[in-house]
Amino acid sequence: MKRNKWIYLSGLLLSLIMVMGFVALCMASEGGGPIAAPAGKPPAFGNLYVIGWSAVNFFVLLAMLYKFAFNPINAMLEQRTNTIESSIKHAEELKVEVEQMRKEAQANLIESRKEAQETVARATKAAEDTKNDIVAKAKEEVDNMKLRAKTEIESATEQAKVELRDTAATLAMMAAEKVLGRAITEADHQKMVKEFVNEAGDLLC
Amino acid sequence: MIFGMWDSIFFRLGPIPVDHLVVTQWAVVALLGSIAFFATRNMQMVPRGLQNGFELIITFTYDFFTQVMDEEHIAKKWAPLLSTFFLFIICSNYSGLIPGAAEIGGFQPPTSNWNVTMTLAVITLLSVHYAGFSEHGAHYLGHFISPNPAFLPLNLLEEIAHPLSLTVRLFGNIFGEEMIIAYLLFMAPFLVPTALMGLSVMLGAIQAVVFTLLSASYIAAATSAGH
Repeated sequence: MKRNKWIYLSGLLLSLIMVMGFVALCMASEGGGPIAAPAGKPPAFGNLYVIGWSAVNFFVLLAMLYKFAFNPINAMLEQRTNTIESSIKHAEELKVEVEQMRKEAQANLIESRKEAQETVARATKAAEDTKNDIVAKAKEEVDNMKLRAKTEIESATEQAKVELRDTAATLAMMAAEKVLGRAITEADHQKMVKEFVNEAGDLLC
Repeated sequence: MIFGMWDSIFFRLGPIPVDHLVVTQWAVVALLGSIAFFATRNMQMVPRGLQNGFELIITFTYDFFTQVMDEEHIAKKWAPLLSTFFLFIICSNYSGLIPGAAEIGGFQPPTSNWNVTMTLAVITLLSVHYAGFSEHGAHYLGHFISPNPAFLPLNLLEEIAHPLSLTVRLFGNIFGEEMIIAYLLFMAPFLVPTALMGLSVMLGAIQAVVFTLLSASYIAAATSAGH
């Protein structure tokens, strides 16, 4: 496809040259009569005017190209070289800086991770300690409460026993009085109470 | 009047005669100067359009002459002159190929006249010796008697042969090409000269390269460490 394009373009260019050449030929025929064979003598050698003009023209062209082409383009090339060099240098510096920052960030990350792990470990240990404390205290309290309750139960039992004995004695006395029909002396009383209590106590306890 | 072969005064600038080929040189100078001016009028860090093209030419010639001359500082010093040679010669060569150029008054390829080619060759000769002296000082004269004082005549002959060959080669090629095209236009005006005109495009470029390359090699030889 690309090759065809070039072939067409070449054909077009060739045709254009041919047409223009033909036009030039026609112009020559009209302007200067029938075309004559070139019969001119070779250019004269040593024409000082032509030599002088050629030298002047060449140096004018050299000066113009110096002024408008070589100097500005050299300056631009130099400027571009400097810009590229400084850009590369800057990029290298940035690369080093970024690498350093990356290393620092990496170190910071490792440090932070270590600190976090330590913090977690400390917190875990503190929580464990607190838990153990709380459990120990609760256990102690429970023990105390159990002890207190036991003591209270024991004392209440003892008190109930005493009260029961007293009541039982009173009831026994009243019953004895009824049975005997007489007042009981102190000595009888004491004796009977003791016997009753002992018997009742054995039964109750 | 024949095609492109005027060898007469076109007009007079006061007492100074101006030939047709001098007017063509003015056109070449104006064309190249204008392109250079517009290409570098607004230089950009990232080149575009004409600036890009001109930068390409300049950097290409710098690289090319650096390869030819080996020494980068000498190539950079002489590249502007050599590039100007190339641009001036190639534009001058092509000026004869513009359709209808033969019918435009004051239009003749300057390089088809040996006064012009000789001028360019003499500029090369002077540049070569200037380059030699500026690089080696008085020691440069030593190469005239190198390798032996007996070679002085041969060396002098060589110094004359260089510009002479430059003059005759460029003049002969372009003049011959112009003459052949003119004869062909006379004998078979349609289609036949086209092929030769296509060949002339190549010839014009080759001759410009050859002249520039030889000038570069002469300068390189004059500035080389061997002297």
